[in-house]
Amino acid sequence: MKKTLLVACLVLLLGMTALMAAGTKEQSVAADKMKVALILSGPANDQGWNAVAFAGLKEAEEKYGIETAYSENVGIADSEAAFRDYAAQGYDLIIGHGFQYGDPAVRVAAQFPKAKFMAIESNASSDNVASYVMACEQAGYLMGMLSASMSKTGTIGIVGGFEQPSITKVLEAYKLGAKAVNPSIKVLEAYVSSFTDVALGKEAALSMADQGADVLSHCANQAGTGVIKAAEERGLLATGDSYDQNSIAPSTVMASTVYSVPAVVMTAVEKVQSGTYEGGVYNLGMKDGVVDISGYNSFEDKIPQAVKDLIADTRAKILDGSFVVPLIETRTN
Amino acid sequence: MEIFSLTLITTFLAATVRMATPIALAGLGETISERAGISNLGVEAIMLSGSYFSFWAMFQYSNPLFGLLFGILGGIAVSLLHAWLSIYCKADQTIAGLALNFLILGLTSFLFLMQFGQTTTLPSIQTIGRMEIPLLSKIPVIGQAFFNQDPFVYMLLLFVVLILVLFYKTEWGVILKAVGENPRSADTAGLNVKKVRYTAAIANGLLGGLGGAYLSTVKLGFFQENLTSGKGYIALVAVILGRRNPVGVLAAALVIGSAEALQIRLQTLGSNIPSQLFAMFPYLVTILVLLFSIGKSHDPAALGVPYERDKR
Repeated sequence: MKKTLLVACLVLLLGMTALMAAGTKEQSVAADKMKVALILSGPANDQGWNAVAFAGLKEAEEKYGIETAYSENVGIADSEAAFRDYAAQGYDLIIGHGFQYGDPAVRVAAQFPKAKFMAIESNASSDNVASYVMACEQAGYLMGMLSASMSKTGTIGIVGGFEQPSITKVLEAYKLGAKAVNPSIKVLEAYVSSFTDVALGKEAALSMADQGADVLSHCANQAGTGVIKAAEERGLLATGDSYDQNSIAPSTVMASTVYSVPAVVMTAVEKVQSGTYEGGVYNLGMKDGVVDISGYNSFEDKIPQAVKDLIADTRAKILDGSFVVPLIETRTN
Repeated sequence: MEIFSLTLITTFLAATVRMATPIALAGLGETISERAGISNLGVEAIMLSGSYFSFWAMFQYSNPLFGLLFGILGGIAVSLLHAWLSIYCKADQTIAGLALNFLILGLTSFLFLMQFGQTTTLPSIQTIGRMEIPLLSKIPVIGQAFFNQDPFVYMLLLFVVLILVLFYKTEWGVILKAVGENPRSADTAGLNVKKVRYTAAIANGLLGGLGGAYLSTVKLGFFQENLTSGKGYIALVAVILGRRNPVGVLAAALVIGSAEALQIRLQTLGSNIPSQLFAMFPYLVTILVLLFSIGKSHDPAALGVPYERDKR
């Protein structure tokens, strides 16, 4: 009796979970539509890195009438299985949204020559695997300039997620940008070794505030939300990452880096549709409309015109190629 | 080095207390549960549920008391489910706890998604602020760290004293221990083993729920998927490190919290040491402390064993 009850309960729970899973996946079904799948490292509604990719997928779905699916919270260990699953189901384009998905994509792609694979922010490639690298450091550099210009204490801080090339290049550029404005500025940095631990992200930012930092920045996806909240709590300034994060703390976030992942996804979908998708590593930056910085929102009047001009000038120089933001993928001091 | 200046030591201690509070609260709950013989590995689930429901209530009613109440109820619901599985169904307690962790992770994420959808705007609540205790907060160094904090820290200190008295000065403590050590004798002596264990589970849910509520309503002011990110497992470690003694659990949580606070501060000093090494630091400290406390730990004899009255 007790056993039956237990089994019944478990089956019920399983059924419920299955229903939930089914509810969030498979969006539209049609016969000969192009099928695109997206693999995410965290939840699709993380208000950051994964949210922008998800938005790109939805945009592409509307514009091109493609069939889409996505998987959230795919760890490195499960990534090969996720790629293989989608490839076996006949998906035409499978996108892994992060540096860590590059190598698994290459391994799986060898067995599915007809499918196209894509890794965002990676450096791996093969015949049917393309890595699209966004020049996030260009925007990071500008954030460093803005933060250093707005700092009154001469100390600013930036929190990174994992110490991996796609994150490190932003932090390094941020430091360079800050030093370009104020050579004597002190930039505190810390990696929280997580993209999801918001509490730790906040503590890291608070420790920087305790050491006198008055502008706090991040490149840590979901964990970075904690950084912004820390700045808000202490009445300091912050910069956002991935998209305009001003809405999280309107009187705290001055500006954000904007990585237009939708544009990257759209480019790839277009290429697959026209049959021109090829493997390789592609760099996309400001001049491709993929990397940029947001507007200043409520800070439009609070940031001195000279600072705004400086940033606009540098941005123009990056755009026309007369200034190249150095790409540093390993940490320096 | 400037990290050793007085103000920095004070802020470091304050950070330590902030990091330790959710771990210690959940650890205290698990201590009561384990003393009664129920090993609940679902602390993570209890905390996550507490943190989601307290956020939800605060968002709906913007009343801290409601937030607190729903956080506690969210925690208790999960711990009672575990208690029911392990007492009534006699399921494997370890497996039941782990299963709950995954179930609640999915459930809270699902509820959060249903409520707010896929958005780039962050639903926020007003966090519960700090309350300075007049005289005590003036004590040099530790005053600010312990007595200029939010109500949860004071609650934690209160609970430590309360549970200490309960364990060692009341009949309740003896009953709890009897049920955890030898449920058959306890039953023979006329104690209601099931009732004691369910009560312990409720206490576990209450404290774990509070620990989770601390994260969403005090520390962050928002909820996100997997908000607890493993703090429940750390709480389990604190229980073992603290040898199921309330003061020990608090001390263990403080050690783990200080290691975490320290690693972040050391990183900002700008050294050549890879950040991954710093991330290991809190766990390294934990393992070291465990190593040095080998042989002195004593588990309740009936820990994890379902009590079956009609069997020998």
